[in-house]
Amino acid sequence: MPYSDHVSRRRFVLRGWLVSLGGFFFLAVMPQPVDAAEPPVSFVNDVMPVFTKAGCNVGVCHAKAGGGQKGFQLSLLGFEPLEDFDHLVTESRSRRLFFGAPDQSLLLLKASGQIPHGGGVRLAASSEGYALLREWIRQGATFDSQTAPKLLSFEVQPTRGSINRGGEQQLKAIAKYSDGSIRDVTSMALYESNDKAMADVSERGLVKISDIVGNVAVMVRYQAKVSVYSASVPLGAPVENLPSSKNFVDEHVFANLKALGIPPSVLCDDATFLRRVTLDIGGRLPTEEESAAFLASKDEGKRDKVIDELLRSPDYADFFANKWTALLKNRRDDESDTVSNFAFHAWVRDSFLANKPYDQFVRELLAATGTVIGNPPVAWYKRVKEPKQQIEDVAQLFLGVRMQCAQCHHHPFERWSQDDYYSLAAFFSQVGRKPSGTRGEDLIFHKRGIAVAANMKTGVPLKPGALGDAIPEIAADEDPRLKLADWMGSKNNPFFAKSLVNRYWKHFFVRGLIEPEDDIRDTNPPTNPALLEALEKHFVASGFDLKELVRVITQSRAYQLSEVPNAHNVVDRQNYSRYYPRRLQAEVLLDAIDRLAGTQTDFANLPPGTRAVALPDNSYNRSSQFLRVFGRPEAESVCECERVQSSSLAQSLHLLNAPEMKTKLAAATGRAERLAKEDKPAEAKVRELYLAAFSREPRPQELKTAIDYLNEPGSAANANYQDLIWALINTKEFLFNH
Amino acid sequence: MVVEFNRYSCFRSLLVATMIFGASLSLVSPSFAQSVGLPAPRLLTTIPMGAKVGSQVEVTISGEHIEDADELTFSDRRITAARKLNAAGQPEPNGKYVVTIAADCPVGIHEARVMTRLGISSSRAFSVGTLDEAVQTKANTTLATAMELKVNSICNATMTQRAVDHYVFEATKGQRIIVDCATRGIDSKLAAVVIIADAAGRDLLVERRGGALDFTVPADGKYVIKVHELTFKGGQAYYYRLAVSEVPVGAPIVRLPSTKPVNSFSWPPQGLKEQAELAESEPNNDRTKAQKISLPCDIAGSFFPAADVDVFEFEAKKGDVWWVEVASERFGLPTDPSILVQHVARTGDTEKATDVAEFSDIPSPVRVSSNGYAYDGPPYNAGSADILGKLEIKEDGLHRLQITDLFGGTRNDPKNIYRLVIRKAAPDFAVVAWALHMELRNGDRNAVSKPLALRGGATMALEVVAIRRDGFDGDIDLAMEGLPEGVTASGLKIPAGQSRGLMLVTAHQNAPRAVGSATFFGRATIDGAAVTRPCRLASFAWPITDSWGEIPSPRLMADVPVSVSGLEFAPLTLSPPKEVQTVIAGEKLTIPLVHTRRSEFSGATLQLRTMGASFDRAPQFDVSLTADGSHAVLDTAALKTAPGDYLIAFYGGAVAKYRHQPEAVAAAEVAHKNAMQELMAIEAEVKKLTEAAKAATTETKPEADKAVEAVTVKQKAATAAVAAAAEKIKQATAAAQPRDIVDIVVSEPIKIRVSPAAAK
Repeated sequence: MPYSDHVSRRRFVLRGWLVSLGGFFFLAVMPQPVDAAEPPVSFVNDVMPVFTKAGCNVGVCHAKAGGGQKGFQLSLLGFEPLEDFDHLVTESRSRRLFFGAPDQSLLLLKASGQIPHGGGVRLAASSEGYALLREWIRQGATFDSQTAPKLLSFEVQPTRGSINRGGEQQLKAIAKYSDGSIRDVTSMALYESNDKAMADVSERGLVKISDIVGNVAVMVRYQAKVSVYSASVPLGAPVENLPSSKNFVDEHVFANLKALGIPPSVLCDDATFLRRVTLDIGGRLPTEEESAAFLASKDEGKRDKVIDELLRSPDYADFFANKWTALLKNRRDDESDTVSNFAFHAWVRDSFLANKPYDQFVRELLAATGTVIGNPPVAWYKRVKEPKQQIEDVAQLFLGVRMQCAQCHHHPFERWSQDDYYSLAAFFSQVGRKPSGTRGEDLIFHKRGIAVAANMKTGVPLKPGALGDAIPEIAADEDPRLKLADWMGSKNNPFFAKSLVNRYWKHFFVRGLIEPEDDIRDTNPPTNPALLEALEKHFVASGFDLKELVRVITQSRAYQLSEVPNAHNVVDRQNYSRYYPRRLQAEVLLDAIDRLAGTQTDFANLPPGTRAVALPDNSYNRSSQFLRVFGRPEAESVCECERVQSSSLAQSLHLLNAPEMKTKLAAATGRAERLAKEDKPAEAKVRELYLAAFSREPRPQELKTAIDYLNEPGSAANANYQDLIWALINTKEFLFNH
Repeated sequence: MVVEFNRYSCFRSLLVATMIFGASLSLVSPSFAQSVGLPAPRLLTTIPMGAKVGSQVEVTISGEHIEDADELTFSDRRITAARKLNAAGQPEPNGKYVVTIAADCPVGIHEARVMTRLGISSSRAFSVGTLDEAVQTKANTTLATAMELKVNSICNATMTQRAVDHYVFEATKGQRIIVDCATRGIDSKLAAVVIIADAAGRDLLVERRGGALDFTVPADGKYVIKVHELTFKGGQAYYYRLAVSEVPVGAPIVRLPSTKPVNSFSWPPQGLKEQAELAESEPNNDRTKAQKISLPCDIAGSFFPAADVDVFEFEAKKGDVWWVEVASERFGLPTDPSILVQHVARTGDTEKATDVAEFSDIPSPVRVSSNGYAYDGPPYNAGSADILGKLEIKEDGLHRLQITDLFGGTRNDPKNIYRLVIRKAAPDFAVVAWALHMELRNGDRNAVSKPLALRGGATMALEVVAIRRDGFDGDIDLAMEGLPEGVTASGLKIPAGQSRGLMLVTAHQNAPRAVGSATFFGRATIDGAAVTRPCRLASFAWPITDSWGEIPSPRLMADVPVSVSGLEFAPLTLSPPKEVQTVIAGEKLTIPLVHTRRSEFSGATLQLRTMGASFDRAPQFDVSLTADGSHAVLDTAALKTAPGDYLIAFYGGAVAKYRHQPEAVAAAEVAHKNAMQELMAIEAEVKKLTEAAKAATTETKPEADKAVEAVTVKQKAATAAVAAAAEKIKQATAAAQPRDIVDIVVSEPIKIRVSPAAAK
C-alpha cells in the first residue's frame, strides 16, 4: 500500500471519529500544529530504532508470529516499517495514539508502565526514547519512508583494540544517511558480546573486560545494519621457551599466544598423549599392551606413528561415524527404520574407513538417488523430507550458517534475506520421490524441470542461488543438488571447508575457533582468524582429506600440550595455551568402563561385544540408562549441542552406586574376578589396572595405597579388586580426557 | 488378523453378533490368525547350496511339509540325486541325499525340488560352479575360530544371529583377490556385509550393497574375511556362498550366478543379437559432443562416471514412428534409465531444442501390491524402471537423444550398463505368471508363491500378465502342455488391448500321483503370423506369512513343474457341466454347479466372483457350503456381453476345517498297537526267562542271567518304541485336528457361447 494511501486511510479514520464524537473530541484528537522550524521526528530513522532498542519488536514480544502480543503486532526488529506504522496509527480504530494529549497515548502509557503492561516498563517517562515517541505523536505521527534519508552504512568505533584485563572501552555507533548526514546512534544501537564471561557490554556501549584473556567480539546492531568490535585482551606475561613448532598449527597458535602474552603449558607426557589421542581419534582407551609398548618405545617418531595407526584403524571410522550419524539424524522412530538406519550408519562408517574425501561424502549425501539399500545416503531423505528442512540442515551442518530466521524475515544478525533462503531451497525443489517396495521409504531421483522455489512473502519464484554466489543456469535435466555440491566443494567456497575444520578443531580442542561451531558469520569472528584460514587452506589443498586434517591437528605441539596450567595460563579458555580437559562422551565412557571392568554391555540384537561407539542409531538409548544419563544424543538435530557434555548429580550417582555398575564390577567373567584368582603379585595386578585405566604406571604412593587396601584382612579378594576398580572409575583422571 | 471374504457381510454379521451376544463377544470372536492357502510343500534350504561341476556331494534338505520327501529333482537333468543310504542299505533319515553333478552340467543356478506326499515342492536355487567347495561345519564367529579358506574356493555357510562369521585366507603381495558372496541371488534372506580385514581382524575393505570386493594384497600374509547380516539377523534362512578367487589384474570380475528378477521376463526382444551393434563412445556428455547415430540402432552403453549423460544425435523425418527400448534395471542393476528426445533447429550459432518425447519407466500392467496388511494387488512388478515407448517424429531434421540414470548422480560404477534399441515397430509380447491371490484383509501371502502341487479335484489359478511391445494389442491365448495324467490347463486369454489373463490348472479327482515338467506359453496372431512366446513363472524365494513385516523377494523360475498329490484332495470342487453353456446375447445364463465337499467349512456360504474376459464384472453371489449343488446366473444384458466364445470360472475364499493327513492317525495307532504287542511279547519273555534264571542251577545260572539281561535290553527298546509310537499318535492327532485355513476355491472352467440375439 503506497504511503499516500495510508495517509488517506488515516485521515478517513480520523474523519469517522470526528463525526461520531463531536466537536470537543475533535479538538482533543487534532494533531497540534507543527512549527515549521522544529525538526520533524522521523518514523523510520527515529521512532523505529526506539522500538528495537526497547526490545518491543523481538520475537517473544510484539513481533511474535501470529498476532504479536494482546493484538498489537510489530515486525521483527522493525524490518517492515510500513506494517508497523499501520499497526501503530490506524489499527484498532487508531486507539494507540492520542494526538491531543500525546502522553495519554495508549502506546506511551503502556510502554512507560503507567497502565499495566505485560512487558513491564520498556521506556521510562523520563527516557530519551519516550520523549522521541511523544514528540512524533505530537507532530502528527507521520510516515516518512519515502522522504526520510536512507540509512546507508553503520559502523562501530573503534572496530578493534587491545584492552587489559579489567579494562573498559566505550563504543561509539555511527550511522550514515543518504542525505550525507552522520548521526551518533550509540544510545539507540544494540550490543551483544560473543563471550559474556570475557566481556560485558552495557546498553550504551560500554565494554567491560573480565580477567579472562583472549579475543572477544561485540556485535553492534542498528536497524538492519551490523558492525563488530573486536578486542584482544592480553595477559602480558613473558612467553619464552615455546615448544618448537611441528606444523603451521603451532605457528599460528603460538603466534597468538605470544601476541596475548600467554605462556603455554609444557608438552604432555607420553602416557597422557597416548590416552588423549586414542580417545580423540579412536573413541576408546588404549589397551594395556598398547600403553606398555608405547611407554617403553624410544622411537622419537612414536607419537606420529600412533596417530597414523589410529587413523588406519576401524576405531576411527566407528567413532567418527558415531559423531556424524547423530548429526545426520539417523534416528529410529519405528521398527521399520532398522534396516535403513543400519545401512546409513554403515555408509558413513565405511566412508570414513575408506577416507572418502569430505566433499565427495557430502556430494553423495546431498545428491543421493535410488533406494536406501542400493544407495544408503538416500536414508537422509527419509528423515529430512521437506526442502526447507533440508536446506536448513545442510546450511547449518555443512556450511556453519543458520538460515532458519531467513525463512520468514531478513536474518537479524546476518546478511541473509528471504531470497537467499528460498534460492537455497530451490536446489532441492526437483527432488522426485517414487514409492519403493519398502514401507515408509521412497525412491529418490531428480525430477526433470527448472528448479525454482517461491519466496514465501513475495511469491516471486527464485532460481537456485548459493548464499550470494551466482550459480550458472541449471538445465531442466541437471540435478541442481549436484550443482550445490559443486559449489560447496569449490576451492573458494567461503563456508564449506571453514565449517568443517572449525568443527574438527573443536572435536580435538574442546572449543571451536568459532563458537558455536555451526554459527559462522561476520559478526561472530574466530578467536584466531589466521589459524582458521590456514586450516581451511590446508584442508582444501589436501583434497578435503579428513584423515590428513586429523593428522595435522593431532601432530601439532599445540594439541600435545599438558592440561596442567602454569603460573599464568589458568585464565586462558580460548587460546589453546593448554589442553582443556573434557568428560568422556557417554558411549566412550561406557566402553571405557567395560574395558576396565572386563565386561560387555549387551545391546539388543547386536553381536555380544559391540562397543557403544559402534551403535548405529539412537534406539539403544532407550534401554541404556547409562547412555541417557551421560547425554547420548537422540539424533533430533544437526547441532552438536544436542550431546550433553555437562556434569550432573545423576551421573555421579550412577557411577557411584547404580546396579549396572555393581553388576559390571562383580561380573563372574570380569577383571576383578580374574585378578582375584590370578596367581601373580598384587603389584603386577595394580600396574595392570593403572595401565588399563590411565595408560600409565601407578605412582609409588598409589601403588602402596592400592596394595595396602588389597591386603586388608577381613574382606574377600574379589571384593577388594572390585572396590579398587570402582575407585579408579570414579577418579577425574578416568572420567576425563585430559 | 481377520480374513475378509466379503467385508460388508462380515462386518454386518459381526454387528449382529455384537447386538445379540453383547459382552460375550470376546468368547465368540471371529477366527483370528487364519493362514491363507492349504499346506504346500516347500523346500527351503539345501546344505550345501551348490556344488562343483563334475562332482558328487552330500546334500541335506529342510523345509515345510517335506517330512515325507522322496525324490530330489533338479531343473537340469544333468544333476541327479539319490537318498543317502546307511550301512544297512536303508535311506538315512533327516533328508540326506547324494547329489551328482555331471561334468557337462552348465555352470549357473538350477532349481532344486523334492516330491512329497502333497506333490512337488517349491524351488530352491542350487548353484553349480567351477571352484572347489567347502562347507562351514562349526561355529566360526570369532577371530580365534576363523575357518581356513583356500584361494579359489567357495564356502557354503549359514549365518548365526547376532554374530560375525570369520574366515582366514593366505595371500601374497600383489595378488588380486576377489571376494564375492552369493545371497539374495540364491534365495537367501541374508543382506550380506563382507569385510576384508588384516590378520588382527582390523577392517580394511567393506562391501554392503551386494558387490564383490576387489582386493590387491598389500603384503604377504593371512587376511580375514568377516561376513555378517546388515542388521545381524541369522538362522536357517540366512545362508550364503562365499567365494575367494584370484583374478588377473585388469581382467573383468565374473560374479557368482544369480536368479533373475521378475521383470527380466520382458527382455530381450525377440531376435535381438547378443552383442549390440554399436557402443557409446565417450565423451558424449553434452550437445557439443553428441555421438552421431542413424536409426534404427542398437547401442551398448554405461552410466559411468557419476551423473553420466550420453547424448546421441540422429536425423529423422516427420511422421516417422520409432520404438525406443532400454534395458538396464532388467539386468538386475540398481538403475533407473531416463531418455529425453528433442528436435534441434539450428540457425547460425544458435539452436532451439524442442522436446519431442520423454521416456522413463515401463509401468506395471497391473496394480502392484503396496506391501500393506490387506492384499491390494500382486507383489510382483512386471513393469520396470527401464524404458519401452513410442517415438513419433513431428518435424524433419536433427534430433537429439540423451540418456541418463536417474539413480546415477553420485555413483561411479562402470558395471551399471544399458542397452538402447531404437527400431521400427516389431509388435510382440512377453508373458509372466504367478499364483493367483485374492483380496483378503490378511497379511498372509503364502498363497501367492505356492508351487503347482495340485490336490485331486483342485483347480489352481495363475495370474498371467503381458508386456506388449511396439503397439501389439491383439488377443493373447494362454496354454500349457506336458501336464501329468489327469491334469488339464485352461487359459483365460488376455483380451485385445488388455494385459491380464488367467491360467486354470485342474487336477481331476482321480488323477494319479505324478509330476511333470510342463511348458507354458502365450500365443497370438501378429501381422497374420502365429507367434508363440514362453510364459515364465514367478515366485517368492520364501513364504511370507506377514506382509507387513517382510518384503517379498520375488524371482523367475527356470521351469514349470506340475504335480498331483494323489493322496490328498481339495476341500471343495465346484464342477460346472462339461459341455458348452449357450446363451443368447441379452439373456440370462444359469449354470448349474455340482459341489463335491471333502471337508467341513466355517460359515454357511461361499461368496463367488467371476473371472474371465467379459464376465469378470459380474456381481458376486453366494453359494451354500452345505448343499451339494448351486446355480450361478450371469446376465449378459447387464454385462453387455458380445456374441462369441468365452471361458470363465468362479472363485472365492472359503475357510476350510483342514485336517492334515488324518490317515496318519490311524497308521500311528496301528504302529502303536504293534509296538504294544511287541512289548507285551517281550515282557512275557522277560517273565519267563527271569523265572528260569531263578530256577537255574549254578552251572546254568550265568547263561540264564545273560539271557535275562539281553531280553531286558530288548524290553527297554520296546518300551521306548511304544512311547515313541504314542508320541506319534499325539502328533498326528494334533495335526489332524481341524484347523481353519482360508482356501482359495476356483471352479473348474466353464465354456460359454453367447449367440447373437435374433434381429427384431
